[in-house]
Amino acid sequence: MGMRKVAVVGAGMTKFVRRAQETGKELSWEAVRMALDSCEMTIDDIEAVCMGTAPDAFDGLHMKAEYLSDGAGAWLKPYMRSYVGGGTGIFAPIQGWYHVASGLFDTCLVVCEEKMSSFYPHAQAAFLTIFDHTTERALKPNLLWIFALEMNRYMHTYGVRKEDIALVSVLHKRNAADHPCALLGEPDITVEDVLNSEVLAWPVQRYDVSPVSDGAVAIVLAAEHVARRITDKPVWIEGVGWCLDTAYWTNRDLCYPRYVEVAARMAYEMAGITEPRKQIDIAEPYDPFDYKALHHLEGLQLADRGQAVQLYIDGTAARTGNMPVCPSGGLLGVGNPIAAAGLMKIAELFWQLRGEAGARQVPGNPRRGVAQAWGDLMQVGTVVVMGR
Amino acid sequence: MTLLERDPNAPVFWKGNMPVTSRYTFGLAGERFFRAIKDEGRILGTRCPECDITYVPATLFCERCMAELTEWVDAGEIGEVHTYTLLFEDMDGNRLPEPEIVAFVRLGDGGLVHRLGEVELDELYIGMNVEPVFKPAAERTGSILDILYFRPVD
Repeated sequence: MGMRKVAVVGAGMTKFVRRAQETGKELSWEAVRMALDSCEMTIDDIEAVCMGTAPDAFDGLHMKAEYLSDGAGAWLKPYMRSYVGGGTGIFAPIQGWYHVASGLFDTCLVVCEEKMSSFYPHAQAAFLTIFDHTTERALKPNLLWIFALEMNRYMHTYGVRKEDIALVSVLHKRNAADHPCALLGEPDITVEDVLNSEVLAWPVQRYDVSPVSDGAVAIVLAAEHVARRITDKPVWIEGVGWCLDTAYWTNRDLCYPRYVEVAARMAYEMAGITEPRKQIDIAEPYDPFDYKALHHLEGLQLADRGQAVQLYIDGTAARTGNMPVCPSGGLLGVGNPIAAAGLMKIAELFWQLRGEAGARQVPGNPRRGVAQAWGDLMQVGTVVVMGR
Repeated sequence: MTLLERDPNAPVFWKGNMPVTSRYTFGLAGERFFRAIKDEGRILGTRCPECDITYVPATLFCERCMAELTEWVDAGEIGEVHTYTLLFEDMDGNRLPEPEIVAFVRLGDGGLVHRLGEVELDELYIGMNVEPVFKPAAERTGSILDILYFRPVD
């Protein structure tokens, strides 16, 4: 396609916390400094900056990305914000990728930030106004009960048991116990804990869902000739894809995320992947709810429809399994500062593929991973394939 | 036949609102900046020795080189009116009895946008030296409005 190879050469992230004292600017700056320091670059080496951040309502500032720009290192640089809701954290690196792949820039800093604690009393209220004002909003919908409807349909269609879905939450929260930035790592959590947690909107219980969080993540992208000067362990962005399904909740297949499949096929084709289940070593599907990780694994073609839970039952998804899923701990364990949570998955693949993931390291020198996020009006799929 | 023709009492619109309430933290730098205003009646900045810039209000980092800033300085008691405007109407378009003066007061390499007071309009000029007038210490809350206004310095 006449595009240049692009590598991730550095990454940094703040702790994900429930309520940060730092401003969004300060969180962004912290992640940027860590990312630059990790590859011994300075802000002068950066030619363009991409910012991913979700609804302005969270931070309580309109034009939020412009407000955050100094923390993102964007002073006097080409700067652009992308926003596709929850999918933003995987879309922002795609945007950074085409900034560099196109030949326009040799280096690009990608920063994702979210400070959800500003919204009072709870960030969930920010979602009241994403629904149609005439047909839906009168019923006061929130994401918990909207996804409870989807989860129930998924369980019913494929006969997936709730106690098996709980395995997802257990694995991810246990994995997160090894992540120094995690908000909800729980090394000893069990299926019983998940099943006994507070029911929020049946079948969604407290431990089926990720927490609202504050945090920021940054990565540094470089064109091949620059990347090879910076590091002997570049991690290449091998494929990218994204796609938007219908805006109507009622016109969508609730049991199967077509938006993920289309995005994944686009990314796989670019990466030359023909048999994803054999060619993908690590998967970081988007997991704001436990059933959503299953949904997305199926959309990513890493499991048959309704069968993703088997990866958890038979141990394939474990960190030491054949295809570890969310070795980071995912959103369920590390936390869910929306855009930052997505970019955290890209950072995790970067560290895993370089063998730098510490206690979280997947054994066997993994060669390729896929990260995915989902969002907008629950209809966007964003996918990045990375390899070394 | 439209809905309205069928029912003359049917609404032609749907009422709704987008309620947003936020609680903002001061941030790491802001915490110290506003405490100095509240407790000491001082305006602080931070210096980047590398870029030779004094940021007012104080910031945690230099936006030019991204270095952490650890050198805190007093921005001084006198600022300079960099520019100003006169407000003749309030937010709702009502005529104000007296025009309100809003100025950008240069302090360090930054400054504050704030009100001017104790100044006659015909005495006002760009380049004028001004100083902050703080609320009484007991009434300060850690707000930018702990500074009542800036006034001319003789």
